[in-house]
Amino acid sequence: MANPEHVNDSMFKITLNLTMAAFLSGLIIAVVYYFTAPIAEIQRVKMKEQSMKELIPDATSFAPIKGKEEWYRAEKDGKLLAYILLASEKGFDGHVKLLVGVNLDQEVIGYKVLSHKETPGLGDQAFKPKFADQFKGKRYQQLELVKIQEEGKITAITGATITSRAVTNGVRRSLVELEKYLNENK
Amino acid sequence: MNLWKEFTKGLIAENPIFRLALSLCPALAVTSNVYNALGMGLTVMFVITCNNISVSIFRKVIHPKVRVPVYIISIATIVTVAMLVLEAFLPILFKELGIYLSLVVVFAIILARAEVFAAKNKVIPAMVDGLGMGAGFTIGMVSIGGIREIIGNGSFFGYQLLGSWYHPPLIVILAPGGFIVIGFIIGALNLYEKRKMERTTAGGKI
Repeated sequence: MANPEHVNDSMFKITLNLTMAAFLSGLIIAVVYYFTAPIAEIQRVKMKEQSMKELIPDATSFAPIKGKEEWYRAEKDGKLLAYILLASEKGFDGHVKLLVGVNLDQEVIGYKVLSHKETPGLGDQAFKPKFADQFKGKRYQQLELVKIQEEGKITAITGATITSRAVTNGVRRSLVELEKYLNENK
Repeated sequence: MNLWKEFTKGLIAENPIFRLALSLCPALAVTSNVYNALGMGLTVMFVITCNNISVSIFRKVIHPKVRVPVYIISIATIVTVAMLVLEAFLPILFKELGIYLSLVVVFAIILARAEVFAAKNKVIPAMVDGLGMGAGFTIGMVSIGGIREIIGNGSFFGYQLLGSWYHPPLIVILAPGGFIVIGFIIGALNLYEKRKMERTTAGGKI
């Protein structure tokens, strides 16, 4: 039938329409990415540095430790103040990445979250002071998670036991690795 | 022009969450506190407005047989651009919203407004419709988030309202609480409209 609608329905036209849409979209994203990617990279580094500064406010420079990924020596005028370690542990949803500050006595100074996918309102409380302050001054032998409050141990967050466990295990493991590293490199 | 009407219809009369019952998924998932709910609401408002504009501009060249994929491509482009820009210029907000942003692509309400409204209207009304629907969505999100945060955590917008004597029922913050709260709000709205209708019919008789 010589219906004008049918002419318009040709496979070619439909395909062309969709292709144009996809091409246009790709072009826009590519242009935006070209401009924002370098800025985003700078921001990421800046945010990490800021987290490290918050952990060790006295430090003036952070030198990467050779042979270890994302481990840093926090120094002030060339004098070693503390270590900053990257801890990555499987949480409730995906990996929780933390920067752990450790002093020279191998006690926890604190930690900051780099990235996580925990439940908003529940799991993300593990990165707030109320939970995080429990880690202060503890060595890895003392990092034990309990559900009911107990002196000298870490009390899990109600409704976010898995996240609490992930954070505790992550911090403890990085401390154990630090001790091993320090013993090997005396 | 009826622009004001296009805007306000999204707030209550055709509220996306409570009236159209679209996009209930984020209304459950992202409303455990007000802060997240507001962030999500504003993100959706931005995306829905941009998408309505873009669909309205291109409505004459989009082939009807492939319109839905084209709309999805349009939404995905806007969301990706928004993510890239946020990551570069507002990294803290990006860190908070990053998990939800990519979900925005498949929100039913955005596709629905493109299909129902933007594809049939000029650019300005389409934009206003997007703003109104987005505002209605935000209001819905914030009211659910507010109720859940106050009851489930004893706080509002992160500020502690109720003292330590208050032991919040955890269920309100978890997923079932979302269903319960949304159910009660829809029920209350229905009751209100029924009363209003009864009053007008009763008034008519006299």
